[in-house]
Amino acid sequence: MSIKFLVRLLLASAISLLSISCASQKPMYYWGDYSDSLYDCKKKPGAETLAKHKAALEKIIEESTKREMRIPPGVCAELGYVYAAQNNSKKAIELFNMEKQTYPESSLLMDRLISQTEKRTNYGVSSGNEIDKKAVENEKYSGKGAQ
Amino acid sequence: MKKISRFALSIILLAIAGKVIIGCAPKAITKGEEFPLMYEETPLTILIMPPMNESTAADAKEYYATTVQEILSHWGYYVFPYEITADILKMEGIYDAELVRNIPTSKFREYFGADAVLFTTIKKWDLSYMVLSSTLTVSIDEELKSTKTDQTLWKYNGTVVVDLSGGNAGGGVAGLIASAVITAAQTAMADYVPYAKQANYRALTSLPFGKYHPQYLTDQSMQFIDQTPK
Repeated sequence: MSIKFLVRLLLASAISLLSISCASQKPMYYWGDYSDSLYDCKKKPGAETLAKHKAALEKIIEESTKREMRIPPGVCAELGYVYAAQNNSKKAIELFNMEKQTYPESSLLMDRLISQTEKRTNYGVSSGNEIDKKAVENEKYSGKGAQ
Repeated sequence: MKKISRFALSIILLAIAGKVIIGCAPKAITKGEEFPLMYEETPLTILIMPPMNESTAADAKEYYATTVQEILSHWGYYVFPYEITADILKMEGIYDAELVRNIPTSKFREYFGADAVLFTTIKKWDLSYMVLSSTLTVSIDEELKSTKTDQTLWKYNGTVVVDLSGGNAGGGVAGLIASAVITAAQTAMADYVPYAKQANYRALTSLPFGKYHPQYLTDQSMQFIDQTPK
């Protein structure tokens, strides 16, 4: 009997030690296929891989909401950025605001992105990158290249 | 009966002692001791810098960069969307961490609202072939710098070495060479990415948790192995 007890005790302590050292919490965020679809975008940049990545971002927001988890940092902003590049300013600004709401500490950057997107809409310009560049250049920080 | 229970007790004691010895393997230090500034400054927002690539793989940088944001977020920090911030930096002519190093970190606080910036250096991202085996190595140095004081708040290294040769059942020298060629050909960039992620996880084990993590400010006594890059 005592041998049995001893074995049990040893087993139990082994298991408890194992579970202490390997204590894994449930992940804080749902990231879905994010890194895979982003990797594909880098490997084969184009409309097709971008559409997939966009879908992955949408799904993260959808799933996180469904599971009552906080949306991972940067995801709303990144999706907004994709919409902005596709000239859907309304949706873009909505998403930048959503990022700001979830993470108030992102306000400075989000406000920059929102005003950039608004500027673009006001000028009624349709091409993406050039304007982005100008908007950013206007806000250029002065210390660039300072020694 | 009494003998047996005494025996049992001694075994248990031995087991516990063994565990303690193993658990406190040489050079284990705590987060609180090693990175006190992290607990003083408690940065919330982190800006990821373009990685510096010291490896021989030219495209490692771009692929590695896709793995940082997601993993870092699980430590409980607000991590700026890298796809956006990297674009902004690129438009400013900063696509390289070497260029970034010349900019006072306070600029990143002013422009992005970052409390800290994360510098990463890819030390190794390669295959090495030996006669009998080939190994894949991914090694990453990471360093977090304060945008308030420009001080290093935290730094660590994550390395993953994978033996690709597996079990070689016969086939002689020709067989060995053939399998080495096969592994080399099969090791596309994609195969590195999971190991890059693992290396990231390893590097981050010593990073104190941020505001959104349940163990925020309670992990000072958490131990890790000292492998801070010199």
